[in-house]
Parts: sequence; structure tokens; C-alpha cells
Amino acid sequence: MIKATGLTKRFKNYKKPPGFFASLKSLFYRHYETNDAVSSFDVQIEPGEIVGLLGPNGAGKTTLMKMFTGIITPSEGQLEVLGYVPAKRDRLFRKQIALVMGQKSQLWWDIPAMDSFQLLQRYYEIENAAFQTRISELAHLLEAEDFLHVHVRKLSLGERMKVELMACLLHEPKLIFLDEPTIGLDLIAQKNIRDFLRQYHQQTRTTIVLTSHYMADVEALCARIILILDGKKGFDGPIGEFETLLGHEKNVSFLFSQQQDPTDSLWQKYDAQWNIDYTEVDLRLPEEKLREVCANILQHYPVTEFSTEKMPIERVMKTVMSNPKLIK
Amino acid sequence: MGRMWNHAKQRVVHYLRVYFGFFSTCFIATMSFRIHFVLLIVMDLFFYISTLGSIHIIYNHVSMIGPWNREQLLFFVSVMLTIQQCHMTFVSENFWIFSSTIRTGALDFILLKPISALFSAFFRHIRPGSFINILIAWGTVIYYGMEVHLDLLAWLLLPFCILLGLVLASSLDMVIASSMFWMLEGTGINFLRIELQELSRWPDFIYGSITSRILTIVVPILLIGSAPVRFLFDHSDWLPLLGLGVAIIVVWVVLHFVWNAGLNLYESASS
Repeated sequence: MIKATGLTKRFKNYKKPPGFFASLKSLFYRHYETNDAVSSFDVQIEPGEIVGLLGPNGAGKTTLMKMFTGIITPSEGQLEVLGYVPAKRDRLFRKQIALVMGQKSQLWWDIPAMDSFQLLQRYYEIENAAFQTRISELAHLLEAEDFLHVHVRKLSLGERMKVELMACLLHEPKLIFLDEPTIGLDLIAQKNIRDFLRQYHQQTRTTIVLTSHYMADVEALCARIILILDGKKGFDGPIGEFETLLGHEKNVSFLFSQQQDPTDSLWQKYDAQWNIDYTEVDLRLPEEKLREVCANILQHYPVTEFSTEKMPIERVMKTVMSNPKLIK
Repeated sequence: MGRMWNHAKQRVVHYLRVYFGFFSTCFIATMSFRIHFVLLIVMDLFFYISTLGSIHIIYNHVSMIGPWNREQLLFFVSVMLTIQQCHMTFVSENFWIFSSTIRTGALDFILLKPISALFSAFFRHIRPGSFINILIAWGTVIYYGMEVHLDLLAWLLLPFCILLGLVLASSLDMVIASSMFWMLEGTGINFLRIELQELSRWPDFIYGSITSRILTIVVPILLIGSAPVRFLFDHSDWLPLLGLGVAIIVVWVVLHFVWNAGLNLYESASS
């Protein structure tokens, strides 16, 4: 479905020092720097997969998506998507893909979503009957029937994302790219979008490539994770494997009846994360020490509540991002 | 051969359907802002009246400008106003917003659509309100055409001549607008387009020899109106009209290269 070898995208930027004279100087001379937004990236994605691209801001996730969709041309490397070279922008290739960007809209701001859908129907040459069926199916799944005829500029962010998703799915693409589809949404709206995507994927087995800053999205939807750090691939594998990247550790939370001393040596050993008034702590404990440490804390500290869970992916991610050597 | 013909026919139908879609969405969007809609019509009318009025004022003081009398120049200006009105209705808006389309990354969605990005970028926005003024512009062309006693052939060829002028004017603007891929900020480029349009609004004979040659051969803006009108007045004066046809072909070849080079350079905008 997607096969990339040595994929690189180089951007040229000029750095301007602040101030009036620096601006004047930049009229005549500019110091350009080139940097690799994506560097020597290899990846293969099979049909039906749902893959999460993870990484901090500026890691190269969106650049990668834009190369996959043919929006930008790679500087180096080979890329084949659905058997096409995306940068050649073949019409049949474009008919089989879709991209949703959480922070940009493909719908017209000043008209209702339904009118934009009708234009998309013409773009993608969708027969009338198929179009009507598709609209009612998607609107039902997304519970969007009530606002299809409202001007897009008057929709809430959650409603807008629903119609954006409808717009991208109208032509039944074989490959969908979702760039931060839940960004800015409240928790309920995020869950609705996630549930819809999971259901849609189960029904259609469409290949989906997703980027998100919300680990809940990735945990709920992706079986496979690709971690990007500084434009390079850091990790590529099943989500379960990613969770155990820091070893077989557990996340244990303790709630105390009174404030604790965070400088106590016990806490230092287990990567303690405290709340603001030091009455609650999350510890990262190796599985083999779980019983011993928990028994010790329960015995010596005023614990009112405690719980244990597998290492949250968000915490693994934070740890890896602050120490990329862990995955090298 | 038959298969190729069918394929070409399908593509043309597809593009026409999308174009009607553009028109429909623009109309719906325009109707959301009714006062703006009416104001644009009124402003265009003011522009017509002031342009034609200024010609009348000049001819109140002189009897001829170059080889043309009052009616001939008014016919020329009417033709140019019609070309310009069609330009404003069908393409102009797209050039004004193209810079922000590039800088904001809105071009991303244009590139994703299964249709020529050039077509979507430069024909996407239409000003439906200006259609009414096209009719008025045509009215002035017909009126002054009768004043200058156009013959039957001239009447028959008039729509095609105006169409050719419009195609050249729009194609030149597309080439100029494509330079925004490199410059990103479009204000200067758009002012350049406007200045060139201003120059093309006058017949070629008012310019000096060198200026006239540059504006006919290098940046062929004088062919937009002068070539068709000269031919309509005098059918033996066909060479500029031929030049207009050749210029359209050359400009499209240049546009093809500039547009593709620009797309390869396109970096989108960060999300």
C-alpha cells in the first residue's frame, strides 16, 4: 500500500535576526539554512492496516503525510503509494486517497457542508444514487444529520470535524490520512470521532495512517506505531511492544491522606510524578519489584487509595522523547 | 481513436460538471452577503460609466486619436471592458487569493482533488454578481458595433475575438500569478497584473514603436484588444489576430513549465 525507501525532505529557510536594520540587511543578503524535516525514512504499510505516526511537534509527521499524498515532492528517496508515485499526482491516485487535517478545512466556510459535498460529488464523479446513500450512511454513523445544512462557519469544532470526515470519505478512498483529527475537541467529541473511525475501519478495512497528539487516539485505534524523532524513524512496531519499550514496568498510583516529602530517596528511584500538593504520586515500577515496593509503601505511608496499571503509552512516549537514546 | 475520443469527451464533461459546481457554490456563498453582491454590481457600473465618459470628454476636444474616431475608440474600449468584465467574473478573484492559497497551505486540498490543480486554482472562484454586468458590457459592444457599422463577418467573429482576447489575458495572468510560488507574497505581483491590464486598455497605436513592440511580442498584452478590433474593422489586417493565436499557444507552453516548477517548489504550510 505504502512503500518508502530513503525518503528525505529538505527545507530551505533563512534566519533573520530581529530588528529594523536586520530586516533592511535581509533585503540584500540572507543566510539560508537547509534542514531535513524527514531523513532517510523507510517504511512499508500493508493494506487494511491502521498505523499511528507519533512524534513531538516538528518531528516530520505532517511532512511525511504530505509526501505520501503527493502534496509536496520528496527531495530524495523512493516512494510508492497504491502503486503510484505520489509526486506525479496521477488522477487515479488522487481518486483513491483522502486527507483530513484537524487544523485546516477543505470545506467552504460560507456555505453549508451539504453544498460542499455536492461539489465533491462532481470532483469524484460519484453517481447520484451512490452519493445519497453514502451521505445518509455517514451522517447516520456520525450523527451529523442535523447540521449538514448549516453554514460551516457556524458549526462547532466537533461538528466541523464530523463533516470534514464525511467529506473525506464520500468517495470511499482506499487510503486515508488523518492528521490530528481530534485536535482541539472536547473529550466527548474526541471519543465520538475515535468510535466512528474504529467502526469505519472494522466495516471497510480501509488503510488508515493517523497522527495525533492524543495518546488515547493512538491507543484506541492503532495496532502499529511508528515513532518519528527529528525526521528519523525511532520505532516501528506493534503498540504492545512500544508499551514495553522501557522494560516490563507498571504504573502505580498512590493517594495519601497528607502531604509527603518528595525528596525521600524511595521516590527518586522510581521516576515519581507528583501532583501539585504532594498528596498523590505515580511510580514506574519494574514488575519483579511491584509486590515488595507496594507492601513497603502501604506499610510506612498513610495511603488511602492505590491502583496499578500497565505503563501508559503517553508516559512511554514522554520518556522516549526526553531520552531518545532509549530506542537506539 | 474512438476510445481516445470517448476518453476526451468524458474528461471535458467531468471538467464542465466541476465548473458548474464551482459556479453553484460561489453563487450560494455570494448570496450569503447580499449587500456586498449588490455593491459589486454598482461599482462595476460606475467603472463603465467613468471609462466611457472619459473617452467622450477627450473627443470633445479632438476629432481623431491616431486613425480612430470617437465611435471606433468607444467600440475598442467596449470590447476591452467586456473582456475585462469576463475576466473579473470568471478568473480575477483567483489571482487575488492565490498568494494566500499558497501561504496558508490551502493549495494542499486543491492538489488532492482528482482534477487539474491549475484548473482548480485559477477557476475555482467566480463572481456571480458580475454576470449582470457582462450583459451590460455586451450591450455597449453591440451599440458601438452598430455605430461603427461592423459587417456581417465582423458580427459573426466578434464573440470569438472577445473569447481569444480573454484567453490571452487570463493565460498571461496565470503565468504571472504562478510566480507567487517563488515570491509567496502576492501584492506586488497583483499590482503588476493590474498595471499591465491598464496598458492593454488602450489601442496599440498610441504607444511608441519600441514600447509597442515590447508589449506586443515580449509581453503580448496589446494583442488582447488591439488584434481582434483591428481585424474586425479591417479584415485585411489579420496578422495581429494570428499573433494573438500564436501568443496564446506560447503562453500556455510557458505556463505549463512555470506551473510545474512552482508545484515542485511548493512546501505547503505547517499544520
